[in-house]
Order: sequence, then C-alpha cells, then structure tokens
Amino acid sequence: MRTFILFIRRFFNLIFFLGLEIVCIVLIARTKTLQGNELMNSANSVSGYFYNKQNDLVYYFGLRQMNDSLLNENARLRSELAAYSAVDTAKDGKTSLPLNFSDSTHVLHFAEYHYRTARVINNSVTSANNYLTIARGSEDGIEKNMTVISSNGLVGRVENVSKHFATVLSMLNVKQPVSAKLKEGTTFSVVNWEGERPDVLLMKGIAQEIKVKNNDSVYTTGYSQYLPANILIGTVFKKEILKKDNTQQLSIRPATNFRNLQYVYVIENKMSGERTQLEDSTKGKNK
Amino acid sequence: MSDYVKNLLRFCLIILIQELILNKINLRWWSNPAGFPVFVPYVYPLFILLLPIETPVWLMLILGLVTGLTVDTFNSTAGMHAMATVLIAYLRTNVLAALMPKHLSEYPGQSPNVKNMGWVPFLVYCGFLILIHHTVFFLVELWSVNNIAYLLLKIVASAITSLLFIVVYLLLFTKQAVQRSA
Repeated sequence: MRTFILFIRRFFNLIFFLGLEIVCIVLIARTKTLQGNELMNSANSVSGYFYNKQNDLVYYFGLRQMNDSLLNENARLRSELAAYSAVDTAKDGKTSLPLNFSDSTHVLHFAEYHYRTARVINNSVTSANNYLTIARGSEDGIEKNMTVISSNGLVGRVENVSKHFATVLSMLNVKQPVSAKLKEGTTFSVVNWEGERPDVLLMKGIAQEIKVKNNDSVYTTGYSQYLPANILIGTVFKKEILKKDNTQQLSIRPATNFRNLQYVYVIENKMSGERTQLEDSTKGKNK
Repeated sequence: MSDYVKNLLRFCLIILIQELILNKINLRWWSNPAGFPVFVPYVYPLFILLLPIETPVWLMLILGLVTGLTVDTFNSTAGMHAMATVLIAYLRTNVLAALMPKHLSEYPGQSPNVKNMGWVPFLVYCGFLILIHHTVFFLVELWSVNNIAYLLLKIVASAITSLLFIVVYLLLFTKQAVQRSA
C-alpha cells in the first residue's frame, strides 16, 4: 500500500495528464457520431452572444455581395414565377389570374415546405467538419435536422439548437454525404467532401456510360426526408475515371460560396413527421 | 497587479482575439482557391506558454483543459483543442527546463519571456510547443493519414503563421517592447 501511494505521488502529474487526455478523447469520440454532441457547441448562449456582437460589426462589409446575391435570386424567382403564370408578372403584376377555388377537379397542394430566413453569425471553412452558427433558435421554430440553403444552393443541416441560436453542419464536412442526382435525373449518387478545399466537392461511383459535360448541374434528390428535391448543389468542373473500379468521379464546384455567407434559409418539412412515422412502421413490419 | 488578475485578463484577451478576429481570417497562401489549403492561425496556446514559470504541473493541466474547452465551445469541436492544449501544458515544464540557462526555481514570480530567455530560446520554446499542438490538433481533426502531404503542409504552414501572430502579440502587449521603442 505504501509503495502504491508513493507510486501515485511520484507519477501524479503523468496520471493526471493521462486522465485529462482520456476525458478529451471521450468528448471527441462522442462528436464523431452523426448526432453530434449536445453539450459543447457554438449554439450555447455565451459564444452565441459574442458571435452576434462580432457579426453586427462585420455585417456591413458584406452588404454589397449580399445585395448582388439577393438581386440574382430575385431575378431567378421572377423567371420561375413567370413560367407558372400566364401573365407577364414583370409588366403588370396586379392582374395575375386567380386560382379557381370552386373547381372541384383542381387539387390544391398546400405547401410542404416552410422557409425561414436566418442570419449567419459565425462561419468556418477551414476545419474537417465545418459549422455555421445562425441567430435563430427553437423559439423561432428551428429544429434539429432541418435543411439550410442559401440563395444560391445547398448549405447544410441543422445540428444543434438552443433557445436563440442554432449550429448548422455545413456541406463541407467529412462525416455526412448528401444524396444527389445529375441534371436529367438519370443518375443518382452521393456528394461528399474530402476535407481539403472548400471549393471542391466529390461525386463518386458514376457509371462510365453516363455522359457528363462540364458545367452540368447537380441537384439534391427528395430521398432524404428533410431535403426538398431539386436544390442546386453545384456544377461539375472536372471528370476523372477511376482505374480502381472503372467508375467516373466528378469534381463539383459548390453553388454556395461558403466563405461569405450572410443570410440563409432554413427549410422545415411539414410532412416530415407523417413520413417518419410511416417509414418506421414499415420497417417495423418487415423485421 | 497580482498574477492571478493578470493571467485572467490575458486569458480573456487571447480567447477573444482568437475567436473574434483570427478565426475569421481564412488564410490562403496562394490566391488560387484550389492551390493551397485554407487554415486558421491558432494563438491561444500562448496563454499556456506565458503562465508563470513556477506554476505546478497539475494546475497547468487544468488551465490547459479549461482553455481548450473554451476554444472548443466556440468552434464546435468538442475536445480536439482541449486534447492538444493539455498535451503542451504537460510538456511545457520539461521544454522550459531544457532551454532556461538557470534552474527553474531561480525565476520566482516570472513568466517565460524574451527578457529572461532571449529571443532565440524563446522562439524555439514557442515554436516547438506550437508545432506539437498543431500536429496533434490537425491529426485529430482530419482523422486520417491518407493525404499525408496535405496534412504536413497544413501543420507546417499553420505553425509558421501562428508563430508570426504570437510574435506580433508579444510586440504589442509586453512592456519591454514599449520601452525599447520609446
């Protein structure tokens, strides 16, 4: 016993050091899972407060770019709207045709997705798993796993929510690929990030026969229950054929500029609950 | 000003500089976006490096953990910074003992600084520990050695940049520097 105590006293620092390192490793191991950790993330109110203050200051420097992206988006929405409406909306917006509600053959879909805007108060592109912090939380109706997009394309997925803030796992992460399809809906695969550069995403496992051109767009699929279909992920800028398994690998330039995000949209899927319930009950039956 | 207050203030200052300024600077060494990895300089280990020489190791370990976890909380990287910081907090005493001209107990109430160490030993001391810190951190962060050249580049480039920022910090916030330039 005496020697044991002497041993402890002699190596106290080393043992203490190893103990602390084990604590750290446990913490890291917990974050490596997909769910993420609840305890420590930038959605907590202290760091959220500081990021908010800092963003108030830096905000002004990005106004010009933000204006541009908003203008672009307006233009895109206008052209999309024009496709749906028989009337030239730009010329005489007041006189658009009203939907005929009394028409019983006409099925009215209510909106499946609800969009909320949010301001980005912290953003990173340098880590292996990058996070954004947005200044909206559970009080504004943000929930875990909601999809986040910018005016240009896909950004990521909400990972942690506090009362007034939320962290978003961005597309630039090495742990979660996104299901994706090519322009014509011909090929489905996943897009992921290799952790190197914020300007390159990879789409692997495309059959060689599929003809892909540079600047082809890559969109999301509706397979994931939180993600609306047909959101732009990015455009192809390089194709290679892998010798290993004779498949094509596409390098994709993300549509979103992750370096200077200012505003994002958080998408809530109103049908998500029903869909999860159905899918779970089907799974349960098959077991 | 007592040592406790001084170090507490330094802690707040360094953490705020790290989180609110340096974390926003994504350095690219060549302007070509695909040319070189982006990275953030990490100067917060400086808080551990500048603790008084006589700080007992167990206290330094706890302070290292606290510093690391604070930075982790800001960056949503639970434990990674803490792990690297605890490691350098543990190694610090040994590195100092090797580099200081006299025995460590002969510097009562002093922090390691340029004045009592000289520029070259001080930079070696900072550089060595920063390099270890960055190696551990980026290794844990990337969690693979598939792309070892990229990893090494990122470590070396980040360490050099961090060291530059540390020198800038020292020139800005130490009294000796002010007197010399005056």
